[in-house]
Amino acid sequence: MKRLLVLMLIGCLVVAGGLVALAQNTETITITIRCRAKPPMENWRGNNFILAAEELNADLEAAGDSRRVEVVINQDNIDWGDYVTEFVLGYGADESPDIWLTGHEYIGAQAEAGRIISLDELMKEFPGFNNVIDNLWDSTSYKGKIWGVPQDAEARPLYFNKVLLGKLGWPADEIAALPEKIEKGEFTLYDMLTVAKEAVDKGVVANGNGFWTRPKNGPDFTPFYYAFGGETIDAATGKLVFDKEAGGKYYKFFYDAAQNYGSMACLGLGWSDAWHPGVSGSKVLFWIGGTWQWAEWAEAYLKALGGEDYMWKTFGFALIPAAEKGGRPNTLTHPLAYLISSQCKYPDLALALIDKVTEFGPNTRHAIASTHLGILKGQTEYKFYKSSRLLSEALYMLDYTTFLPNNPNWGSYSSIIYEALAATVGGDFTPQEAVDFVVDGLQRELGDNIIIR
Amino acid sequence: MRGQLAPYVFLSPTLVLVTLFFFIPLVMVFILSFTNLDMTNFGILEWWSPANWSLDNYIKIFTNRFFSKILGNTIMYVVLTLTVFNVGLALVIALITTHINRRAGFAFRVLWFLPRITPVVVYIMMWKALAGPAPMGIINSILGPLGIGSGKYLLNTNPWIFIILANGFIGASFGMILFSSAIEAIPKDYLMASKVDGATTWQTIRYVELPALKWPLLFVTTYQTLSLLTSFQQIMLLTDGGPGLYQTEVWALTAYHRALTSYFGNTQWGYGAAWSVVLVIIGIVMAVIYLRVFKFGELVEEPKIDQL
Repeated sequence: MKRLLVLMLIGCLVVAGGLVALAQNTETITITIRCRAKPPMENWRGNNFILAAEELNADLEAAGDSRRVEVVINQDNIDWGDYVTEFVLGYGADESPDIWLTGHEYIGAQAEAGRIISLDELMKEFPGFNNVIDNLWDSTSYKGKIWGVPQDAEARPLYFNKVLLGKLGWPADEIAALPEKIEKGEFTLYDMLTVAKEAVDKGVVANGNGFWTRPKNGPDFTPFYYAFGGETIDAATGKLVFDKEAGGKYYKFFYDAAQNYGSMACLGLGWSDAWHPGVSGSKVLFWIGGTWQWAEWAEAYLKALGGEDYMWKTFGFALIPAAEKGGRPNTLTHPLAYLISSQCKYPDLALALIDKVTEFGPNTRHAIASTHLGILKGQTEYKFYKSSRLLSEALYMLDYTTFLPNNPNWGSYSSIIYEALAATVGGDFTPQEAVDFVVDGLQRELGDNIIIR
Repeated sequence: MRGQLAPYVFLSPTLVLVTLFFFIPLVMVFILSFTNLDMTNFGILEWWSPANWSLDNYIKIFTNRFFSKILGNTIMYVVLTLTVFNVGLALVIALITTHINRRAGFAFRVLWFLPRITPVVVYIMMWKALAGPAPMGIINSILGPLGIGSGKYLLNTNPWIFIILANGFIGASFGMILFSSAIEAIPKDYLMASKVDGATTWQTIRYVELPALKWPLLFVTTYQTLSLLTSFQQIMLLTDGGPGLYQTEVWALTAYHRALTSYFGNTQWGYGAAWSVVLVIIGIVMAVIYLRVFKFGELVEEPKIDQL
């Protein structure tokens, strides 16, 4: 209904814009924008463009440019896979959106297929982009060119349930000190599993609920592979890499978690019917999630219990622990980025719109509403950004962050890695069988495009 | 001349529809199954060019580590749903509802039709709610105190039971309608004659009604086997092949997953097409076997009585 209203509103604007255009002898150009956004938390991803279009039209008028833009925003919460399919098939039918918001890891495949344009030249005319935090550009670069403008960032922390730790006999100060211990590398992944096992043995959580990851394939598993020393991309050739030794440790960790430490009863669960209710309902001791889920739990699952206030009392978060004592903890940031379709007839206008939403005001609105981290230099000092406690307290995690590689074959690679992980957790594979399965699968699927170490 | 053309004129709309929406897609899927067309090379790969065709996808299917698991799941799902519900329960309901008060029988059959006319998403949402943990899950609230699956999410602990129940409740109504109409069509004098001869109800069913149901039984069994082999939407919505790895994944769902879903969007259309082509071949083989076993040829012979 809301979407219908937005579309009707846009329709009215189009008619009004058209009439005005006739009167002033201007040309009205429609820019279509496609965003994936969980309502209501992430609606600013698209809605920011409404104000941006007004500003841009004022700029165009002042500069004597006869063009005017109107924006058509299409945003919903479909699965990522369907979202990419829609873009690719839409492109095939010559109907791709002008601006497409998506995960940075899709850039490799879309750039190779020529469906998006590189932005380096166009961006020179918009110095505002210099305000974007430098290393975020790495995530949107492919083969030495920039293909997208970062839209938001996040950390994927290890969440823990303070109340359940208290039931295990942990004093409050020890619970409060856990993030710091993890940051110093004093509390490792296996220490976490040991505590998880203890919670299961003492009946604090059900068997399988000591430690959870997300229920399906996705970016959250990769930082564990990194923690065990794994690499995903070869800097020299740009090819994907699978490290057998790190992979073996990675699979052993998840095998142990599921078979010996009362954890990982999470794979295959439905998000809204079991996973979110499980973690937000204090049925799980440790779990990996994203900072954006904080807003989701507060809004969609725990509003009746007091929302964020309740969550600060009940949940804590830390980096993903190091694999070994003294090692470096990590997390993963998976920036979303605005890309411009190569079918867009006015890429300069599309980029001008993106420039307007890549500013403190619009970006901070989104960051606060959706508990995503900001992307601009100095944004943490911005008055309104500081109003979000989560964003301020999670910010240090960016110092420890890792990324997914931008490679056209990442999808196939990730599917095989995950399938072996699910088989390991399910007890179908031993860690060694998982590694053999992955090596065999990657070589068969990717041939020369994979390096096995 | 006009007389000879007329049948073709009447057939032409169907012919056009079947060609456009069945035959051409079938040929395309068949060709696609020999290519590695996927999301990354769409619009680049010339999939129609024989130079890009190979048997790789089929080799991948038959050497897949989970091939036997998926095949086993498919056989179990089809056989259990078919025998217990789509034919077995359908026959039982048809027999019961034709042997009781006509109006009551009719009302009962209408009730059994509800799952079929309920939109599938709503229907599966109801099953999910039924299977949830107490206090929301109704099944758990009843069975839990008896010590069965207390406090568990039954869909995760016993996914197959729910998949077969959810599919069977829909599937049974199809056979039920065909069987009961066939029973109603048996001339009443046969039934009366059997009663006069002193037959019990069971004997009437066994020696008068069941033999008259041979044709609908063949049809329902064949049709429902093929329909179960290719159906996956209920499973997709209920468990999506989970909760464990490929725990409830059936063949048609694998074809769908490979061709159209992937978290990172690397949907493999060629590979998925190969999975569905194998399914089409299995379906054709099954249909031929059924027609032989049930002696289809004899069933459609001219009635001998008319030849006198």
